[in-house]
Amino acid sequence: MVEADDARISDETLIGRTAAGDLSAFDRLVRRHQAAVYRFARAAAPADAPADLPEEILHDTFATARRMAARYRDEPSARTWLLSLARRALDRRYPSTGREADATSLRELARLAGQGHLAADGAVPSVFESLSPEDREILTLCDREYFTLDEAARVTGLPETAVRTRLHRARLRLLARLKEDGHAG
Amino acid sequence: MPDERIAAGLHCGEVQADLTESLDGRLSRERAQRIEEHLLECDGCRRLCDEIAAAVRAVRELPQEPLDAETESRLFSRLHG
Repeated sequence: MVEADDARISDETLIGRTAAGDLSAFDRLVRRHQAAVYRFARAAAPADAPADLPEEILHDTFATARRMAARYRDEPSARTWLLSLARRALDRRYPSTGREADATSLRELARLAGQGHLAADGAVPSVFESLSPEDREILTLCDREYFTLDEAARVTGLPETAVRTRLHRARLRLLARLKEDGHAG
Repeated sequence: MPDERIAAGLHCGEVQADLTESLDGRLSRERAQRIEEHLLECDGCRRLCDEIAAAVRAVRELPQEPLDAETESRLFSRLHG
């Protein structure tokens, strides 16, 4: 009965109950979002980070969420709030993440992405993994979580204009990588 | 791929810079219309647009795997420890 009712309880209700000390509500909230938080942490973690960093971020995120539940307000969604907490946890544990600048011009990226032909195959996961953490992060937020630019800006702490540019560049690099990794037809 | 061509009054470079906004439906109606007209006339930009759309679809279709049981178990142990 509890499981059947679970989907009908909103995230906001679960957060409110968490703030009031209801541990079972907190557990439900964690189970509902744990995979997305872990996926985001894995995407945003740099390749040279400790292997357990995503798991540490996962823990930090929900530990903070439990502590801060009473202050939850004015968020587009619980998922946005949780991924914002995850992003901050990552910044604390790995301060250099997300600071990498790419000097390649947009025109050059478009030229690279336009070369060759794209063929559908099953290699997309490995190509996605091969992208930079910055590209994986923005693609995860905007194309896997379907966040708006405003939501992605809240999570990353970047201005919306920077999010827009970063997303476009990430998509171009993804396309170029899909082609250059031998998936051209 | 040509990037200096002008079609429907727009350079390819301008259009390529707007392709993500176009695909996500964030352009004004007027701008979207002009981009659409360019794409009808420019094979290179149309192909790039189609390929970006295909790459985005591929990312959206990546499996949304659940958290594995061991990681979940460790998480709850720590949260309740």
